[in-house]
Amino acid sequence: MIACVLIPRFQLTVAAGDRTELMQQPVALAPEPGGTQQIGEVSLSAEAFGVHPGMRLGEALARCPRLSLIPPDPAGVADFWERLLVRLESMGAAVEPERPGLVCFDVRGLLRLYGGVEGVLAATRRGLRVPARYGVAPSRFAAVAAATRARVRRPLIVPGGRKEAGDFLAPLPVALLRARPALADLPVALERLGVGTLGELAALAPAALADRFGTAGLHAHELAGGGDGALRPRPAREFLREGLELPEAASGSQLEQALGLLIDRLLARRERRGRTLRAVVLSAVLVEQGGTWREQVVFREALADPARMRIVLAPRLALMPAPAQQLRLAVERFGPHANDQPGLLDDPVAARMGRLREAIRQARAAAGPDAALRVLEVDPESRVPERRAVLTPFEG
Amino acid sequence: MTGPRRLATPRRVTVSAARDGCPVTVDGRTVDAVRESWLVEDRWWSERPLRRRYWEVVTTCGRDEIVFHDLQKGRWWRQR
Repeated sequence: MIACVLIPRFQLTVAAGDRTELMQQPVALAPEPGGTQQIGEVSLSAEAFGVHPGMRLGEALARCPRLSLIPPDPAGVADFWERLLVRLESMGAAVEPERPGLVCFDVRGLLRLYGGVEGVLAATRRGLRVPARYGVAPSRFAAVAAATRARVRRPLIVPGGRKEAGDFLAPLPVALLRARPALADLPVALERLGVGTLGELAALAPAALADRFGTAGLHAHELAGGGDGALRPRPAREFLREGLELPEAASGSQLEQALGLLIDRLLARRERRGRTLRAVVLSAVLVEQGGTWREQVVFREALADPARMRIVLAPRLALMPAPAQQLRLAVERFGPHANDQPGLLDDPVAARMGRLREAIRQARAAAGPDAALRVLEVDPESRVPERRAVLTPFEG
Repeated sequence: MTGPRRLATPRRVTVSAARDGCPVTVDGRTVDAVRESWLVEDRWWSERPLRRRYWEVVTTCGRDEIVFHDLQKGRWWRQR
């Protein structure tokens, strides 16, 4: 049995913060700076005007001239969502987050611990401490569908197996398939063909769907029939972050200085235990309530060298859309223990060759085996030019 | 690449030559000056002997070209 926790309009709620009165009005998340001009999550009042997430900004304003836009808060959303996931993990749930505001976990391992499905849901509600909708069903897709149909204080539980899940899904609209990015375009085509519900979709022959829609059609048929793939819970994570309040709105070289300080402080944390960093998240709170900015950076190789980290991270600061009043650096993923500390008597030539080998490896991974070749002199004194040298793969 | 690849392999070129074998045009470009000429003979002891008359010429557009005449098969090639 899979449980789904759904927090509707999670990103919009986090971005609105204390301004809860905004949620009573037609509001939407503004487009990301530098991204496509599409709005994010919208309030109920905005939905009443026919505005929906992903709509072009111009069309949304045409449909609802009173629509207010809230700057997105990607860093705040990521932080709060991470806190909620950690709360779920602390009660023993192996969670698979689909997107901020929607997470699934398998309840079977928790049934005896909390005394049944209701006990698990009660423990989840106590742990999360935020209003959410809960759905429990034999498959993940059915659990998400159940959560969208549930009320805040009334979880919707679909008992049984695959057949019961299929029966539950049968009267629901095919628009639910939009929850899967790979199937997002399918509902429109199905509705045009007169297939309005998941039950009608499940009644179709798989061969006919495969013929018309390919693997997406087969996948949709599987979901509509109450099946789904197994959950892939995320590995347990550690949360390590350093932040710096900037006394004045900072940009340019000031930000780079702050970044250097953050890197040093992060690497000095005892919790790092000598490990390298594989991926980090650089985020900032922008001035004048301009929201937040967030950038995930995956290093080419796990490293713990502050100078190299600074070389990689400093150019990212230029992507910030406005000056910052707070800068933060968090560890997204750790690498193996640092083992590239230079020894006292290390040969600089050997170190240089090691770096060259690594560069060649990465170039070959990106551009194929011919990315790095060397000229090998075979018969340099030959009077026939084509016999003098050949190209061979570079062996570092 | 499956194995070692030779560098400076000859490529076909269109050359019109005077009666003494000196190139007059290379790929349609008129030869302005002949800088050097030399003969290469090799593998004369094998079944695939090699006999080439090399010419280093400068065309009117300023290009420096090295071409050779395969004296075995009578074709012209460019080589760097």
